[in-house]
Amino acid sequence: MSDSSASQAPIRIDGLSLSRSGRTVLSNLSLSVEAGQAYALLGGNGAGKSTTIAALLGLLPAEGGVMEVAGIDPVEAPEAARRVIGYLPENVALYEQLDAYENIAYFLALGGARPSRAAIDEALDAAGLEADARRLRTADYSKGMRQKVAIAMALLRDVPVLLLDEPTSGLDPRATADFNALVRQLKARGTAILMVTHDLLGAADCADLIGFLAKGRIVEEVATGPNLDVMALHHRYGEAAAA
Amino acid sequence: MALWLHELRLFARQRVAAPALLLLLMLGSMSVWNGLSEIAHQRDVIERIQPQQEADISAVADFVTLDGDPGYAAYYTYHATWDDPSDLAFAALGQRDVAPYVLRVNALALEAQIHNNERYNAELALPGKFDWAFVLTYIAPLVLIVLLHDLASSEREAGRLNLLQSLASNTRTFWIRRVTLRYLLALAVIVLPFLFGAAIAGSSIGDSLAVSAMTALYLTFWTAASLLVGRLRWNSAANAGVLAASWFMIVLVLPALAHLGINAAIPVRQGVELTLAQRETVHAGWDKPKPETMAAFGELYQEWRDTPPIEGGFHWKWYYAFQHLGDVSVEDETLAYREGLEARDRWTRRVGYLLPPVALQHALHRRAETDLRAQLTYQDRIRDYHGRLREFYYPFIFNEQEFSRQDFARAPLWSR
Amino acid sequence: MSSLRLVARNEWQLMRRSRVAQIAIALLLVLAGIAAITSIAHRNANDDLRARFQAQANSEFDGQPARHPHRMVHYGHFVFRPLPPLAAFDPGVDAFTGSTIFLEGHRQNSANFGDVRQSSLLARFGQLTPAFVLQALAPLVLIFVGFGLIAREREAGTLRLLTASGASPGAILGGKALALSGVAALMLIPAGLALLWMMAAEGAGAVAAGSLLLGYATYLAVWVAAIAGVSAIASTPRAALIALLAMWAVATVLLPRVAPEAALSVDPLTTKLETDIAIQRELREIGDSHDPDDPHFEEFKTSVLQEYGVDRIEDLPFNYNGLLAMEGETLTSSLFDQYAARETAQEKRHAAIVTSFGVISPTIALNRLSITLAGTGMDGHRRFLEQAEAYRFAIVQQLNQLQAEAVTFADDSTRNSDPVAGRRVRIDPEHWHEVPDFTYRGATTGERLQAAAAPALILLFWLLVAGLFLREARNYVLGAH
Repeated sequence: MSDSSASQAPIRIDGLSLSRSGRTVLSNLSLSVEAGQAYALLGGNGAGKSTTIAALLGLLPAEGGVMEVAGIDPVEAPEAARRVIGYLPENVALYEQLDAYENIAYFLALGGARPSRAAIDEALDAAGLEADARRLRTADYSKGMRQKVAIAMALLRDVPVLLLDEPTSGLDPRATADFNALVRQLKARGTAILMVTHDLLGAADCADLIGFLAKGRIVEEVATGPNLDVMALHHRYGEAAAA
Repeated sequence: MALWLHELRLFARQRVAAPALLLLLMLGSMSVWNGLSEIAHQRDVIERIQPQQEADISAVADFVTLDGDPGYAAYYTYHATWDDPSDLAFAALGQRDVAPYVLRVNALALEAQIHNNERYNAELALPGKFDWAFVLTYIAPLVLIVLLHDLASSEREAGRLNLLQSLASNTRTFWIRRVTLRYLLALAVIVLPFLFGAAIAGSSIGDSLAVSAMTALYLTFWTAASLLVGRLRWNSAANAGVLAASWFMIVLVLPALAHLGINAAIPVRQGVELTLAQRETVHAGWDKPKPETMAAFGELYQEWRDTPPIEGGFHWKWYYAFQHLGDVSVEDETLAYREGLEARDRWTRRVGYLLPPVALQHALHRRAETDLRAQLTYQDRIRDYHGRLREFYYPFIFNEQEFSRQDFARAPLWSR
Repeated sequence: MSSLRLVARNEWQLMRRSRVAQIAIALLLVLAGIAAITSIAHRNANDDLRARFQAQANSEFDGQPARHPHRMVHYGHFVFRPLPPLAAFDPGVDAFTGSTIFLEGHRQNSANFGDVRQSSLLARFGQLTPAFVLQALAPLVLIFVGFGLIAREREAGTLRLLTASGASPGAILGGKALALSGVAALMLIPAGLALLWMMAAEGAGAVAAGSLLLGYATYLAVWVAAIAGVSAIASTPRAALIALLAMWAVATVLLPRVAPEAALSVDPLTTKLETDIAIQRELREIGDSHDPDDPHFEEFKTSVLQEYGVDRIEDLPFNYNGLLAMEGETLTSSLFDQYAARETAQEKRHAAIVTSFGVISPTIALNRLSITLAGTGMDGHRRFLEQAEAYRFAIVQQLNQLQAEAVTFADDSTRNSDPVAGRRVRIDPEHWHEVPDFTYRGATTGERLQAAAAPALILLFWLLVAGLFLREARNYVLGAH
């Protein structure tokens, strides 16, 4: 990692405004995530959570404000930005006609990487995908299994930034707990993680900061910790979402 | 390179990709085989008419040489002409199924002979030949549409689009690679059977390259159309619908409308008119004073101007003179008819500027020499040959020279 | 049953609001309109032109000056094939066959000046006619409107909603198919109007026109069942669309081209040149009326002299040359008839092979039905050729008879040496008026219906298969696969 990115937060959004088909989605949004930190972005439907992620990926043009991903402006250099980002869509879709190894090999090749079989196995071990499922075509994978494949990709690419879109929606409680453990593990490796979610309990479990998004900006930001009053937050979160 | 292989594997495992390409390969090969066997059949016909023709002429010689009358020799001897298929004709059979490629003529007025039709079953000719040009023009675009209509939309519908774009180091090259792969596979699958056929038929390298280039251009058009429709960001089914409808309009409806328009704008009823007119002048020849006919003929053939005047009611030289004058009298109509046909062909080429399938068919058949123009060229050669035939018989007829068995063999031969 | 009608009505409503359906149906109706108008105008213009040429040929024949009758045999006559009224609906092979034949003594000429040889290769792209619109375009539009009938609702989840409200899979599928049949019926309207016009203005037979419409309705019903069935079985709307498009391309574009190739490879044609040589050879074997020493005609002469109890042809009560010409013409003509019969038999074998392909492509079956009922298939052209040949034989024999009766043998023998005899053999041109004009008699409705029986049966077979397929498809409506 270069000096410039080490000197500041790997994910930095400052005063971002953005509209889609004439409707303002983000207005003056600001947040930053340090290395080894996880930031959970909460908000109701249409609050702009997924738009934030798309903007960081350089898939949407910003109208105002500044974004930086590991020191790179995704508006200026979207492809350079994507090279340092690991991205997990809400519903990870893989090529159903390929198995896990083939999927990983293909997707990583798109970015120019050619990991060895051992490296892939190591990443899949870390992500927690059962060894005997790896040779099966992914058509029969559950959502959690597909997510694990995507996480293995992020691990293999060794990116400093991870963007997670509703990672735990639709997962059973046990898979959710597994996932949250995985997030903590990733933080320990120094990855900066931005996740958008509906799941306050999960966020409190694995994130360092929780931001509440409403009408396109952060209305409240709290740090997690043993003293966090989740019930009070839940109360406020409902208010924030309604506002 | 590794990425290309990855893409290839991904593509090959799609449910419709391999069957669609295989179908195109199969149809292309079948059409090439069909074209090759059709051309072999045509060559075979040209070969097998030769001994039949010889036997016919020798039978005519048997009774003509009884008294050696050159007038009967010229009247009863039919001379064969034929139009060898080009080395590229197998790929685009064109009009050779409905226009004669073998035709025999005698020394009588040509206009009554040259428009003769070949024997063919019109019901079988109606749908058009199943040749490689057909598979390329009609079927290849459909296969391309199947391969390309959901290029981006399928990724979007599967929810992979963002993931792909987040991982691709350059999204432009990513899409270009995918499009190029599909385009090249379709191109290979349609061009390979053609090249195979070209090797068997002995087509020139230049022809093979030119046809391959036309194919590449034509597929580029349909690829561009598919990408353009893809930009509308509709769903896969809507893309397929729009593309299939465009295919229908561009390949079937608009050329049919253009045909209707061209034929209405450039009527060529002169064909019938000129045969009607030619018959009138030929038969009026019987009733015209003979010296008048001979004088008119003498204008055209000065060398026969000073032969002795005709006594009695009939002389072959007068008969052949008014036969030829009948042809000459409709020269203007013949020219107008021909110009009408050429204008239709010219306008078809212009329509090709707007409709790629028309341009492709026009260019292919021009190169394969199986189009209307090739028909006209064959007719020109027949006209020329007919002139040489007449001039071969004239000395016998005008000098009242006996026509011997050896003379039958001296008649000018049709040259390839 | 009421839930079936409810589903149909609901589907109708959806179609009315779907832009794709609106555009597709509007496009079809516009094209059907253009096709009907241009096709009627084209037929009428062609038919008028041919009638005009026929009238010109008739008056030119009648207007010939005094001549030796044998000269008129070689002056000959032109006949033109008129177009049946229903040719405006389906012109069939008209553009691919010559429309005129030159008729003369001892020769059989080809029908010449077909449009296809006078056109650029555009002619091979096909013609925009009401028949083409219904055969090719209508199924395509039905596919676009109907591929999602079941598949789309299953994907959207609304199908469960429908079953939850009590509709059975059969009622859902039946209702959807009924709705699509409504679209098909709509497509038949321009064709129906065009047929009505042809009946009213051109005198097309009501039974033939009605049967034609019924045939097309059956064809579209087959497609409706296929589309609804495939939509029920396919896993996604896109899969349904691709499968249906492939079926359409094979049935309407590919197989109609493959079938004739099969017929030709099984039973190849011989060229006109070879046929001409063969006829000449056989003629020489029978005898040559131009050859005075021919054994056949020598025998003929002896028998004639015997019959009239004279020793020399000069003593016969008529001109022997005329009788000789009649005998010669009878011989050549019977040979032409033999060859024509062989050709006809081959064409019928070809037609049978192509018709049998109807079992794998309903479009082929319909096309056979259509050209047969319209009277624009090879049947019609063959009738023209046969009638033209009969007419040729009749007028040539009439002229030969004139030679036998109106010209004396003495004059006939000295016409080239004696100018007075040469004048006398030119008989009164009033005789040319006695030669009747050519009138073409098309096949009667009964004959056409009979000829259309085989393709009609194949279409009914398709309807049965389509019905069974639709029944089977009920089991897939709810996605039980």
